[in-house]
Amino acid sequence: MIEFSRHRLENGLDIILYPDYSTPMVAMDICYHVGAKHENPNRTGFAHLFEHLMFGGSKNIPDYDIPLQLAGGENNAYTTNDLTNYYLTLPKDNLETGFWLESDRMLELDFSEKSLNVQKNVVIEEFKQRNLNQPYGDTWALLRGLAYKEHPYQWTTIGKEISHIADASLTEVKEFFYQYYAPNNAVLVLSGNIDKDHCLNLADKWFGSIPKREIRKQKLPVEPEQIEFRELTVERPVPDSVLYLAFHMGDRLIREYYVCDLISDILSGGNSSRLYLKLVKEQQLFVELDAYISGDHDPGLFIVSGKLAKDCSIEKAKNAIWAELEKMKLEPVNALELEKVKNKLEANHIYAKMGYMNMAQELATYENIGKAEIMNDQLNWYRSISPLELQQTAQKIFRIEKCSQLNYLAQ
Amino acid sequence: MTINRKIAPKLYPISKPDLIRPQISKLTNGIPVFALRAGKQEVCKIDFVFKAGIWQQDKQLLASLSNAMLQEGSLNYSAAQIAETFDFHGAYFQLTADYHYGTASIITLEKHLSKLLPVIEDLIKNSCFPEAEFKNLINRRKQRFLLEIEKVKIVCQKKFSEVLFGKGHPYTLGLTSNDFDTVQLSDFIDFYHAHYHAQNCEIHLSGQFSTEIIESLNTHFGGSDWQGPAIKPILYTPECSTEQLTRINKADSIQSAIRVGKLLVPKDHPDYFGLQILTTILGGYFSSRLMMNIREDKGYTYGIGSHFISLNKAGYIIIATEVDKKYEQATLSEIEREILQLQREAVSNEELDRVKQYLIGEFLRDFDGPFSLSQAFRNLHDFGLEYSFYDSYYTTIRNISPEVIQSLAQRYFDPHTMHSVIAGQ
Repeated sequence: MIEFSRHRLENGLDIILYPDYSTPMVAMDICYHVGAKHENPNRTGFAHLFEHLMFGGSKNIPDYDIPLQLAGGENNAYTTNDLTNYYLTLPKDNLETGFWLESDRMLELDFSEKSLNVQKNVVIEEFKQRNLNQPYGDTWALLRGLAYKEHPYQWTTIGKEISHIADASLTEVKEFFYQYYAPNNAVLVLSGNIDKDHCLNLADKWFGSIPKREIRKQKLPVEPEQIEFRELTVERPVPDSVLYLAFHMGDRLIREYYVCDLISDILSGGNSSRLYLKLVKEQQLFVELDAYISGDHDPGLFIVSGKLAKDCSIEKAKNAIWAELEKMKLEPVNALELEKVKNKLEANHIYAKMGYMNMAQELATYENIGKAEIMNDQLNWYRSISPLELQQTAQKIFRIEKCSQLNYLAQ
Repeated sequence: MTINRKIAPKLYPISKPDLIRPQISKLTNGIPVFALRAGKQEVCKIDFVFKAGIWQQDKQLLASLSNAMLQEGSLNYSAAQIAETFDFHGAYFQLTADYHYGTASIITLEKHLSKLLPVIEDLIKNSCFPEAEFKNLINRRKQRFLLEIEKVKIVCQKKFSEVLFGKGHPYTLGLTSNDFDTVQLSDFIDFYHAHYHAQNCEIHLSGQFSTEIIESLNTHFGGSDWQGPAIKPILYTPECSTEQLTRINKADSIQSAIRVGKLLVPKDHPDYFGLQILTTILGGYFSSRLMMNIREDKGYTYGIGSHFISLNKAGYIIIATEVDKKYEQATLSEIEREILQLQREAVSNEELDRVKQYLIGEFLRDFDGPFSLSQAFRNLHDFGLEYSFYDSYYTTIRNISPEVIQSLAQRYFDPHTMHSVIAGQ
């Protein structure tokens, strides 16, 4: 059980407090409920570009990093398709500096052309570093584009193309801020060495006066059910060919998500998993082979990806993976095998509690999905899943007409 | 309540953390056990550490693959059974080989340990190197290696290590794809027998555990059944290149990787702390000179950093970044300009205070949690240092003056003594 308390300011800011006195530090995490999926299709990469701009100074504080460093703090941020998350850690005595900094940039950014131009350049270099200058760097862009035709998950957080970032204007930046950055569209999580009353007083003092804002409500396009097999083949200057099979699966709040998570563990969680033993070690068709879920909050993807051994063809590789998927559909998983993956999840649950910063991020993520409380229901959900359910879900998901196949071939 | 948002909240000095230290004992056969009890969760980590790193190998791959083969089959358990045991109990078993050590680590809930220790005992003492598993492992590692050397930053890093230490030195990343084709299984078995035995072993324990754990370790590892000859110390001397600028062509790379640096003092040298602070000012944190200039002002790169790396037998500074080819020269000149600036002008008190506060914050972060505390101990122990090292570090951070920083920059950071490596188109 993860013991935390929940509060809300009048302006709608949700607050979650998770004490852990084994550390002298505090983690402060602010998650804004905006991610790449909320972007205009002609301005992809905007949420992530905006994340960079959040460090360019705010209305009353010209530099974000310097005061934080003076307080002995450190910070970072990340953007996903679903959310933008900012986190910092501080020695507990200097916690108020975090409140001061984070509340001012929620209040108003110091928008400037200079800062926008520099950060555009930085993000464009990041785009090159991640997507273009790395072997396999464009894999996710290709796979998302293949699997999604309507839903904005079709692009990655870095954006579809460099021009979307290069062309962003200061007006658009301001609009984006007032549409999504607001107390009533965020959650503040504090974890570590904290005193509840002190935290709530500070929250009220620094965040309480930020006005509630009109949040842009969007109905995101729903991805129509895939009814035909899709296949894309690309050739790239990479050392090995890689095969990806992506299947549509349920969203983050339904039971199917947890079932899929268990299926992926059965298939490839650890060196005793089916795919590793059978296809990597025994048949030696792959040098690496993984099955995993994308973890997206809206309906996401179940992905099997494998790097082929030198003498293995795509056809052979594909058939071998399908044989294992068919086996999941035909035969119920035996009780011991299921117990194994459940044990692992339980142990992971305890390991996760060792890090106060990790806990802050997890709680913020669950709050974004729905409610942080779900974090405590998870284990029961996993525990209650039966072999029959795994089999039924496998039958539902692993169908050729719901599959997107990417053949990423070495030139 | 009206507040003045322009005024920063009051800051409080950050006190030095009380570091939890390990209790030291010995198994019956003399293996030292360093047991560090900390944390709230009933999780423990055990590291079995052998002096079996790259420093000890006389051929490429010996250290890493002998280590990796430990989970590929032993006298009483097949690779599959070993994997099944760890997975079933939700335990993480990790094998790593670095410059000086080969390590087998387990992270587990303590309640499962009695099921895991017999397997760990067998795989450490009775590894049997099945040939089929070995071939398979070589193939997978080779393919992974071929991918790595496609990355421009790896190409650059390999060359940089060679420039600093010279061909054949253990700190030079000299592995080639050819090395995978010429391996002999018997060499690995010999390396294993020579290095994985009680006389060459230490055990580091951290997390929450009961006192019985030491007895269990003694039962499984304290006997006289796995003795071996002591390891002779081996001496290598770095042979630094005389070239100041080295360029390697890497076709089709969109960005160029840049590494600049030189050998510096070892960790027990009196200037170590000051140089660590100087390197941080230059490029060791987000508001560093290099980041502010080259990323935040010029936008040449997504990131640039400088680090003072301390290995057991050498220390060096490295400045690392990836930039678009068109910014290559400009980046090199800006790096040089920032170094010269540190020599020419003393850092302001304001900037130095910021770095000091940042480093003290890092100090707290580095010692947070049982596994970090255990690593903090290793960072002393492996270098033959005492806990007073951290006291001196803390005191130096607190008291160092701008003038001392400047004189260190003048003495150690002459741009003509730095080596630059560029990998790109």
